[in-house]
Amino acid sequence: MTNWIKELQSIVGDENVLISPDELLVYECDALTIHKRAPRAVIFPTTTEHVSRSVKVLGEQGIPFVARGAGTGLSGGALAEAGGVIIELSRMNRILEIDWENQRAIVQPGVINIALTQAVATRGYHFAPDPSSQPTCTIGGNVAENASGPHCLKYGVTTDHILGLEVVLPDGRIINLDRHGAVALGYDLVGLFVGSEGMFGIATRITVRLTRLPRAVKTLMADFPTVEAASQTVSDTIAAGVIPAAMEMMDQATVRAVEESVFASGLPIDAAAVLIIELDGLPVSVDYESSRVVHFCRANGARHVIVARSEAERERLWAGRKNAFGALGRINSDLMVQDAVIPRSRLPEVLPEIYRIAERYRLRMACVIHAGDGNLHPTLCFDGRDADELRRVDAACKEIMELCVRVGGTLTGEHGIGLDKVKYMSLIFSEADIEAMARVRAVFDPRGLCNPGKVLPVHRCKAF
Amino acid sequence: MIGSMTALNHMIDSEMDKLRACVHCGLCLNVCPTYIERGDENDSPRGRLYLMRAVAEGRLPPTTSAFARHIDLCLGCRACETACPAGVRYGRLWEAVRADIAARQQPVHLIGRFQRFVLNRLFVSRRRLRWLFAPARVLRRSVLLDRLARMPILPLRLKKVFMLLLATRPPRIERFRPSVQSDDVREDHDADRTTTFPTRQAVALFAGCVGRELFDHTNRATIKVLQEHGRRVINLKEHVCCGALHVHAGEVETARELARKNIDIFELSRGETLITNIAGCGAMLKEYGELLADDPDYRRRAQSFARRVRDISEYLMDIGFRPGPRPVNVKATYDAPCHLFHAQRVTKAPVELVRRLPGVTFIPLAEAHVCCGSAGIYNLIHPQLAGEILHRKLNNVRRTGADVLLTGNAGCLMTLQSGVIEMGWDIQVMHLIELIALTYE
Ligand SMILES: Cc1cc2nc3c(=O)[nH]c(=O)nc-3n(C[C@H](O)[C@H](O)[C@H](O)COP(=O)(O)OP(=O)(O)OC[C@H]3O[C@@H](n4cnc5c(N)ncnc54)[C@H](O)[C@@H]3O)c2cc1C
Ligand code: SF4
Ligand code: SF4
Repeated sequence: MTNWIKELQSIVGDENVLISPDELLVYECDALTIHKRAPRAVIFPTTTEHVSRSVKVLGEQGIPFVARGAGTGLSGGALAEAGGVIIELSRMNRILEIDWENQRAIVQPGVINIALTQAVATRGYHFAPDPSSQPTCTIGGNVAENASGPHCLKYGVTTDHILGLEVVLPDGRIINLDRHGAVALGYDLVGLFVGSEGMFGIATRITVRLTRLPRAVKTLMADFPTVEAASQTVSDTIAAGVIPAAMEMMDQATVRAVEESVFASGLPIDAAAVLIIELDGLPVSVDYESSRVVHFCRANGARHVIVARSEAERERLWAGRKNAFGALGRINSDLMVQDAVIPRSRLPEVLPEIYRIAERYRLRMACVIHAGDGNLHPTLCFDGRDADELRRVDAACKEIMELCVRVGGTLTGEHGIGLDKVKYMSLIFSEADIEAMARVRAVFDPRGLCNPGKVLPVHRCKAF
Repeated sequence: MIGSMTALNHMIDSEMDKLRACVHCGLCLNVCPTYIERGDENDSPRGRLYLMRAVAEGRLPPTTSAFARHIDLCLGCRACETACPAGVRYGRLWEAVRADIAARQQPVHLIGRFQRFVLNRLFVSRRRLRWLFAPARVLRRSVLLDRLARMPILPLRLKKVFMLLLATRPPRIERFRPSVQSDDVREDHDADRTTTFPTRQAVALFAGCVGRELFDHTNRATIKVLQEHGRRVINLKEHVCCGALHVHAGEVETARELARKNIDIFELSRGETLITNIAGCGAMLKEYGELLADDPDYRRRAQSFARRVRDISEYLMDIGFRPGPRPVNVKATYDAPCHLFHAQRVTKAPVELVRRLPGVTFIPLAEAHVCCGSAGIYNLIHPQLAGEILHRKLNNVRRTGADVLLTGNAGCLMTLQSGVIEMGWDIQVMHLIELIALTYE
């Protein structure tokens, strides 16, 4: 056995190192299975110290490494490129401290997003970023991807809820980044680290902001005869100055898949599009705003507008929406999800165009949309064993991306660039832009050992 | 070896569509007790499916010990199915893979080999079972058992066996016996009883093989409650083991034979419904249709049989449950057996029943639908992991402050009760039907 493996074993314990190829196989992909790279080893640290010492050993050998949370990423971010080692944080999953007075909590990076919310819900708080992968994804992964969720429309994305970080730098040194309150002293390195896709180091302790649960919540479901009508409702609502807590759209293909699943929430399967709109805040404002929203829905030709009458009904609506991605597995077993963002006002014209692209390539597509912020997830459902279909998927993705960029949009709203979208970076950024990013990265990781091969299209700092 | 390897590939091939249904979203990870404990993707549902798929695609030889080990470490609790939006039928796949591993290799554990003998030779006959359990019944009544179970020098697994046996003793319910002050008793009750249930519908009771030998008290309680609801109860004396243990251990052919016998016996009994109070049996009985899908003689009959099976809690809710009049003053909580919650999807009925019992304060249990680690003889084969899983469960139970922990499955009951005894806590674990029965006394 190689020496560095022995050293890792002596740091984290024999049982916390996987090296048999048979057991490394499952670590070859995240939730976007189209990309596969098996790691050379997987280690399970339980302390910051473990992470720091392991990273040092790997650094001495020039072996690249990558942090992994729950592997729910949708951009191939947690894959070990170039024969790297995965540092799996699932066992660093303790909530270390809850500071009720200052409404913050300190957690280890492997804490599951929803576990934190559950731990603070009894006293009326939650951790606001609520990606649909909430029951599984880790807060470390959320930080790395600057994850978002349906309710981030009103409450802000992950970075708005991160107050401090303990980070193991790629050379093994441990630093503490802080932004007490809203502003940082000196440079806002917390802001820089959040969304760095695991390339600036490994977060080992995260201080998060806890948010009060709203006093009142109202959740509506409206269904429309056309996608355009639903998109127009979204635009009208926001133009009128109403900011719902969440505003989610599902197209017909998605609704059908959800209704077939165990999470069926009674959505009409003959509608072209369904909107789920949630309003929260003080009871009076919720009532007023919901009457406005109902008005916009009706004015745009909604066939039904239904208000959830109980918490159970509300939960059922959300369960349907949040399990939509998995439910698409009923259409076909390989999924390629896009994550483009476009200016909200262009939704009514861009969506039909995307359907036309899928049609042209003879691909089945389902679409969920964080409609409130123009974040689209057109998802192509295909059979990965069919080489020709695979090629068509690739070509369609490229066209969809180009379309979105053309109307003033961008590549990713929340899933990150990772491995998957590196090829599109030049659609948006110039050489100089990318150069600047590479230099920032080099400050944290001059040797390029930490999650190489992601985000930046040119491998400037290749280690070997 | 080669021949059986292709058999495995063939089997997985035929299940390929089910395997491919997994889109790798990971939404099943944190309901899986082994993943929660170990945090290793290989011990998660998504990972196990990935391994099966790799075998099917020829990327992983099915003979690797890692494959067998991670499949073996699965509890078969099927919590992952309840969480899966894509509708992956994990349980079916897992059972099929287990069957093949069992056919191909000698069991990894000595206990496994012994298990195979017991299942294929002893558990197939009612008479042999009586003999098998006779010493257990004698020992159970003796104080010797208390000593044995607490002897420090015994090997861990043997100790566990004694502990489990200790846990099958009838619950000490004297202390909960309802007070008979008549003002507590609801007056309208007796009148109701006769008017609501005019027909004496006949139902058959599947007493369970271990149930019949060790849980007579549970069966008696079940009969009592059914009678209180105007049912005539046919005791299916001749029924054999449901076959769940066999399917779990990969002995599918034996399971099919047992299923055929049970179908014959139930048909002869002329019962309308087949009632079980053991979640594991219920789940199996309800799957006879699929188990015998390729049997031209039995396919139809198996399907109609399966449709008539009801867990006692589900059945009571269906027919309009009437609790007895006497209050039982306890704080109770309920742990959902996986085979009831995940496999049969009977999720609300048991809690609903308990909530309606006079005098009972119901306290919900955190993570009630996560496996307790019992899973057949899992706790004997993997005592350490099972112990960690059980610990998490017991701590949750402790936090409720309940003095009675209810369940609906013999295996869970034994595991939970033995855990409680080991902790030295004063919590009584019992089948919920026994608490219900107390309200009629
Ligand atoms: C069904 C489904 C629904 C989803 N819905 C949403 C959604 O609504 N919104 C959304 O934003 N995303 C969503 N995602 C994507 C994904 O869940 C998020 O990106 C999530 O933040 C990833 O967390 P993870 O723990 O799984 O990270 P992983 O996939 O394990 O890793 C993701 C990246 O984070 C890095 N990383 C992980 N931990 C650390 C750490 N401690 N320090 C530094 N780097 C680290 C990894 O190196 C990798 O680059 C969804 C995914 C699925 C499968
Ligand atoms: S939830 Fe279902 S589809 Fe998703 S990973 Fe688990 S088994 Fe696969
Ligand atoms: S059956 Fe239970 S133990 Fe097995 S993979 Fe599913 S959730 Fe995990």
